Amino acid sequence: MKIRLFHKFLVAFLAIGIAGFATTFFLIEREFKTDLTVRIGDEMAAEARIIALMPAGEIARHAGELAERARARLTLIDAAGRVTADSWLGDRETDDHQNRSEIQEARLRGVGKAVRYSHTLKKEMLYVAIPLREGSRTTGYVRLSRPLAEITLAIGEMSQAVFDIILVIVVAVLLIALLFSLKMIAPIRRLAAFTGKVRTGDVSGALRIESRDEIGQLAENINEMAAALQEKIRKADEEKRKLESLFSGMSEGVMVLDAESRIESVNRGMEEMTGRPRGEVIGKTLLEAFRNIGLHDALERFREGKATVCEEIGLGDDRPVVMDVTISAVRDETGGERHTMLVFHDVTRLKRLERIRTDFVANVTHEIRTPLTAIIGFAETLQQGAFENPETARKFLRTIRENAERLNRLVDDLLTLSGFELGEAKLHLEGIRIEEALDRVLTVVEARAGEKGLTIRKEMAGELPLIRADRDRLAQILINILDNAIKFTPIGGTIAISTSPGEDECLTVRIADTGVGIPKGEIPRLGERFYRADKTRSREPGGTGLGLSIVKHLMMAHGGRVIIDSALGHGTTVSLYFPVFRESK
Amino acid sequence: MEDKKHTSREYERELQEIREGLLYLGALTERALERGAQALLERNSALAREIIREDEQIDRLDVELEEKCIRLLALRQPAARDLRFITTAIKITGHLERIGDMAANIAEKVIILNDLPQIKPYIDLPRMVEISRAMIRKSLDAMVREDVELAKQVREEDAVIDQLNDQIFRELLTFMMEDPRKIQVCLYIMQISKSLERIADHAEGVADMVTYMITGKSVRHKPASAEHG
Repeated sequence: MKIRLFHKFLVAFLAIGIAGFATTFFLIEREFKTDLTVRIGDEMAAEARIIALMPAGEIARHAGELAERARARLTLIDAAGRVTADSWLGDRETDDHQNRSEIQEARLRGVGKAVRYSHTLKKEMLYVAIPLREGSRTTGYVRLSRPLAEITLAIGEMSQAVFDIILVIVVAVLLIALLFSLKMIAPIRRLAAFTGKVRTGDVSGALRIESRDEIGQLAENINEMAAALQEKIRKADEEKRKLESLFSGMSEGVMVLDAESRIESVNRGMEEMTGRPRGEVIGKTLLEAFRNIGLHDALERFREGKATVCEEIGLGDDRPVVMDVTISAVRDETGGERHTMLVFHDVTRLKRLERIRTDFVANVTHEIRTPLTAIIGFAETLQQGAFENPETARKFLRTIRENAERLNRLVDDLLTLSGFELGEAKLHLEGIRIEEALDRVLTVVEARAGEKGLTIRKEMAGELPLIRADRDRLAQILINILDNAIKFTPIGGTIAISTSPGEDECLTVRIADTGVGIPKGEIPRLGERFYRADKTRSREPGGTGLGLSIVKHLMMAHGGRVIIDSALGHGTTVSLYFPVFRESK
Repeated sequence: MEDKKHTSREYERELQEIREGLLYLGALTERALERGAQALLERNSALAREIIREDEQIDRLDVELEEKCIRLLALRQPAARDLRFITTAIKITGHLERIGDMAANIAEKVIILNDLPQIKPYIDLPRMVEISRAMIRKSLDAMVREDVELAKQVREEDAVIDQLNDQIFRELLTFMMEDPRKIQVCLYIMQISKSLERIADHAEGVADMVTYMITGKSVRHKPASAEHG
């Protein structure tokens, strides 16, 4: 247990008090006892002297009376030391008193005193002896004696009084000491409480100690210290809050690793990028949390070189993300590198755009080169003499024409697309009955569907509102979608066309086939130019690779949209949402 | 005292190194598998060759990791949980190394297949790759999170892989009977399917080891469910 300052004070005061009290009492008692004994001795000596003036016979006869007057025992002793009379015992005491110290002293000095235990009376006695003289001859001794108990009793009474007085004084002193120490300790206690509060981080308030002594000075210093501390804490808090809002608000992912390469903190951007909540990754190593080779290797490289490392890595399992990661050291106050900071920048979109661009260039050159190669090849063959054979020449010329037409279509498609992208193409919007448009388109494609043995089913909802569309563009959209459906549905499959009024002033046309389907990951890329989900599929001469891209743009220009759903191996459903025609517009 | 503390810290670090090594190896095999599927679907032989090259790294890491485990066993004489961890770690790295080999095997077949005409789009193979990859991932996640339930899931998924393997086998058999020219391609695809099935088995082995590592109870050679048997 903690020994409190107050207890220490109390014990010290008590010890001093008790010691003082005991010493004083002991000294006074001893002094008093000696003094009293001497005084009583003197008194008795005086009485004995008066008695000694009487003749011995008289004394012996009036022994009892004299003793009573003197309030003492009177013993008459002759020169030989024999007791001739005794007020208490008569003359029964017979032993030789010659050698008693008081008698000897009386003989030598004229008065003798002694304190001795009386074997006759079994008491501590004070003896005073005075010699009886006749001329210069000593004829005997008068001895007065009183029991010492009397004195002891007197001393006892006296010391009781002294004891009481001293006790009162000691108690008073202790009380004063107590009050004094309490008064002195109270501000110290408050100091302790306040500094304790400051230690736990609460620096509000100030000490109020109205005292001009050292404690007051101390309190003032502490107050100033607390105020300075409060200001520092406020500033640090502000700084921290700023950093925190920056940390959580930035779109880049930030991750801090501790000295043991465990994840110490991640910001919200990081959580969003990786789809992993904070709680799941904190305290883990990078491998434990992400198990990503690229990330781990980048960190290793950073650790080897100690220089900032920039790396591009793929992260995430279900949702692939490409990230630029920058690894740098966080230096602490001593300049040591205990923490590592990783900043992630999501470049998925950037990468995608980059890929679309390079793919586009590669595709467009490929698409143009294929018919060109054919044209050049057949033209060369004709030049080298094939034109002499009219049959072959006609066949070759037809091929050349077909390829030139394909080139033409490609250029047309590209122009259409760029027209929409630049916003130059104009739509002639009017109210169109969707059934009519579908029927018109179906007459075009039915023949090709028939060749593959495909069944086309039409399920039309009863009364449908008109849609707002450009007649020719609408046909282009429907033909493109139906063409795809026919292309990708194996022999004997079914294409189901259905229409239904949709929500939000919309009309939905659904074209579902039982074709090969599209892998889920490819669906978002379908609108890209020249993108082919199935790279191995041999190109059919008719396709330019721009069909869906055009559909997407046309639908957007119409204020509608396309949604493609697909199950690999089971078929694809294309949903076209057209806005409904309103007369006022 | 200080020295003893230092030694135990060192020991902790060595254990963590083994743990990290296992996870790294797992990540490498997972990536090899993922790239294998990509090489197959995109007919990318360069990528396939890279997988074969990387298998050497997997083999080297496997040897290093096993040596680390044995050295720790010999020098530190670990007890109880640590002993269990190290012995199972040795087995897990073995499984992972085999998975790496299988992935390299697949890559070799992919290179051959890429030079042959494709007979049909791949549907079940990518699914098998996806599932077996998830099995590896889950079994190592189970180790990180000490999650026995997750390890149990891996055992259940093995049944799906077996079914897909059978399905592919039957389908290819039909193709081969229809057209003998397709036999070569079909046989390579079958080998890939078989390799994937064995990868799943090894992933299950990892999951079993992880379960043992966590609980101390062996679940090997016990069917996960009725359909498994």
